[in-house]
Amino acid sequence: MRLIVVKRKVLPRYVAWAVSAVSLVLGIAVYLAIMALLKTSPLDVLVNIARSFVNPSIVKDLLILIVMGCALLVSFKAALWNIGGEGQFYIAMIPGVLFTLYVFNPETNPAPAPIVVFLSIVVGALLGGLWGLLAALFRAYLKIDEVPVTLILNYIAYYFINYLVFGPFKGRYVYGYLRTDEIPVMYRLNLRIALPPTTNPIVATAYGFIYQLTYYIALLILAVLVYVATWALMKYTRLGLYIRIHGSNPSYLKAIGVDPERVIPLVLALSGGIVGLAGSIYLLVEFHRIPYGLEWQTTGYGYLAILVAWLSMLDLKFIPLSAYIVSVLRNAGIALQIAGLGGNEQALLLVGSILLTYSMTRFLVEYEVKVEW
Amino acid sequence: MDNTSLKELETQRSSIAENVVLLARGISKSFPGGVVALDNVTLDMRAGEVLALLGENGSGKSTFVKILYGVYTADAGEIYLRVGDRLEKVNIGSPADAMKLGIMMVSQVPQLVGKLTIAENLALTLKSLKLHGVKSLTSISKISKIIAEESERVGIKVDPNERVYNLTYTQKQLVEILKAMIIGARVLLLDEALTYLPHLERKRLYQALMKLKEEGRSIVVITHKIPEAMEVSDRIAVLRAGRLVGVVNTRETNIDQVRAMMFGQERAKQISYSRIQIESKPGEPVIVVKDLYVEDDYGREAVKGVNLSVRAGEVVGVAGIAGNGQRELVEAIVGLREIKGGDVVLAGVSVKKGGIKLVRDIGIGIIPDRLIEFGVSIENSILDNIAACITRNGLVVKWDLVRKFATSFINEYQIVTPSPEAPIKYLSGGNILKCIVSRELEVARKAIVAHNPTRVLDEASAIYVRRKIKEKAAKEGVAVLLVSEDLDEVLMTSDTIFVMSSGKLYGPFSPDTPREEIEKYMVM
Repeated sequence: MRLIVVKRKVLPRYVAWAVSAVSLVLGIAVYLAIMALLKTSPLDVLVNIARSFVNPSIVKDLLILIVMGCALLVSFKAALWNIGGEGQFYIAMIPGVLFTLYVFNPETNPAPAPIVVFLSIVVGALLGGLWGLLAALFRAYLKIDEVPVTLILNYIAYYFINYLVFGPFKGRYVYGYLRTDEIPVMYRLNLRIALPPTTNPIVATAYGFIYQLTYYIALLILAVLVYVATWALMKYTRLGLYIRIHGSNPSYLKAIGVDPERVIPLVLALSGGIVGLAGSIYLLVEFHRIPYGLEWQTTGYGYLAILVAWLSMLDLKFIPLSAYIVSVLRNAGIALQIAGLGGNEQALLLVGSILLTYSMTRFLVEYEVKVEW
Repeated sequence: MDNTSLKELETQRSSIAENVVLLARGISKSFPGGVVALDNVTLDMRAGEVLALLGENGSGKSTFVKILYGVYTADAGEIYLRVGDRLEKVNIGSPADAMKLGIMMVSQVPQLVGKLTIAENLALTLKSLKLHGVKSLTSISKISKIIAEESERVGIKVDPNERVYNLTYTQKQLVEILKAMIIGARVLLLDEALTYLPHLERKRLYQALMKLKEEGRSIVVITHKIPEAMEVSDRIAVLRAGRLVGVVNTRETNIDQVRAMMFGQERAKQISYSRIQIESKPGEPVIVVKDLYVEDDYGREAVKGVNLSVRAGEVVGVAGIAGNGQRELVEAIVGLREIKGGDVVLAGVSVKKGGIKLVRDIGIGIIPDRLIEFGVSIENSILDNIAACITRNGLVVKWDLVRKFATSFINEYQIVTPSPEAPIKYLSGGNILKCIVSRELEVARKAIVAHNPTRVLDEASAIYVRRKIKEKAAKEGVAVLLVSEDLDEVLMTSDTIFVMSSGKLYGPFSPDTPREEIEKYMVM
């Protein structure tokens, strides 16, 4: 008997979805088997994981990860490895704090909320873009690999923000905690709706999703806009074309008269700018203040987005699915901790098991395995 | 397998000559996108024989030998190998399987590790195949001895302790052939392995192959040069559009017959090597090279004070054996390589100052020698490759326009591809070159700098491309600098000829200069 692996000539439509579903089931099975060895009830664990798939609390993570997944996809497609999502995400929050709490403080210098919010988002995105651009300049003109540079810039961002929170941005109404003041309500981007009470669990779940999507409406709009814009960028624009070619053969770009050293800053600035959009809006819809010691309390979106981009196999179509899987896993981990079924390491184990089976089975999308006797 | 086909196979086997070493039966293969590369091909390879496999670009030659070598898996068909007095069915799932069975392939690109010595490279292969008792990488002295003995026997001179990056391309290919002999290859597949070799060195290599043939090994040579196939082979097999057109004994056929098999009677008749005569009136100089000095990749002076001028509407050919500075000259002219001394002026503008961007902005078409590095981006589609070169302004790519160009290039140059959306990597080498040539002739407004523009093309396509280049010069007043290792190409296309040897340019010669005189400068 021998196994023959051949590249698929035609990709049946169901294969990609089937592979994702199978890998998910297999990954959870691996996790349950390990938990059973540790004498934890697989049933309890399974119930908690299953609930996460339909838990409305994944909405926020899903939307943020779609945006950041698109951002990293843009740079990964150009074979530019932007590992600096974390830094770009948090550095983009600085203008939000500066404008809403200091420059246009409602008590001292009020300004129309749309203008302040617009400024916070745009300048935040520019700052995120600048953070990406810094790494790009090192790469393009000093030939220093962008992976360590973007990674180091994450820590520079953490510590720079820590400095601000410890110093000039230190809150006045924070009861001695080290953090900034809360952003005034008038500058927040949440929308609350009242839904009728219900005892039906399915309706309650549906209401939960509606409530979350409304509450995070700004993130929803951002996710849709960024997703469509990324699709248009990659499909129709000259920059998108250059990005695809840079990812495959920068020498060809050079031979047609396009300087790859000019493409690199554009791409990383764009990628950082999109992450910056996510960061600046996240401040206004969820964070509402910046705490001291970000490096210990990070949500880790910058790193989770790397998983999202890779799980999609750099295919924009699969970014929402990958973002969904990663947000479910993140929330399942939290649910397991809350249920007392394990600590953070159990959550990581779950994520790891599913990623392992996903990576192992993902190649079935492109390849067909035949058994010959 | 039903009874009828079993009987049929038995009958076939009994009629198979005793000297058949390998039989590929009913091989079919399709690629993603639906291109049928091979359709039910049955072919045998015999001991002590050179079989030339000919066919147009994209006819399936490379796919066929790659299946025999385990690089691809056939969709259908079987492979039989002689074991004693009978043929046994074998499964070849990888090149390692093939090598263990005594099947070895040498391709255009040497598969050697540059930083290691020849002996160390061989150690890697022998260890993985567990041959010659090599179980670890420490038996270098033993391997060096084997190499010395084997190279002595066939007359290939190599130093086992030389690092591979110090070897010339020819030497690397010789090492590959030596490797095949040391692992005891019964079938040696040469997939355009000699295409990039200069004429004289190719002859030298064929002499080594003749020794292998005398030892009873079976050699399959893929080439697009019919005269060469006629010279070295015992049988010629021709593929067309994935099907086997026929197999003929070389002694019983002639070039015209083989051409007709390859291209069909009508197209074969159009093949002619006489000079392409198109009236033109040369205008002002467009390409002016002034006392040019350029270094190669290792910092050695490769171009030594070259002066050259090409006028609008004129084709200037530079002939020469590979490795005499042509690549460096071409790359410097188009701004892809640093100019160390002198300058190049294109349409009145200095390349030293403007670089490649300026070269492209003023409308210079470039057909590079390094196709995969500078000619295309293989992971991207044909459309992407065309769009990047043609769409130079504006935010949005005009895909409708790009698609029109792609369709016209595919039809006009008969590019074999599943669709314009297919990634370039699915195309054969010849079809990749056709994509580049068609695109660059389209973008060229002032000049074309072409380096070996037909090297991997079949005869009919090569002649078509030469005619198109000549027409572009004569009818559109474009200046053409044609640098080629193929003297026939230079002679039939150029208005003025130079020879490049050891980094210097000799000439000009008129196209009527006797061939022997030009060859004399080529080997100086």
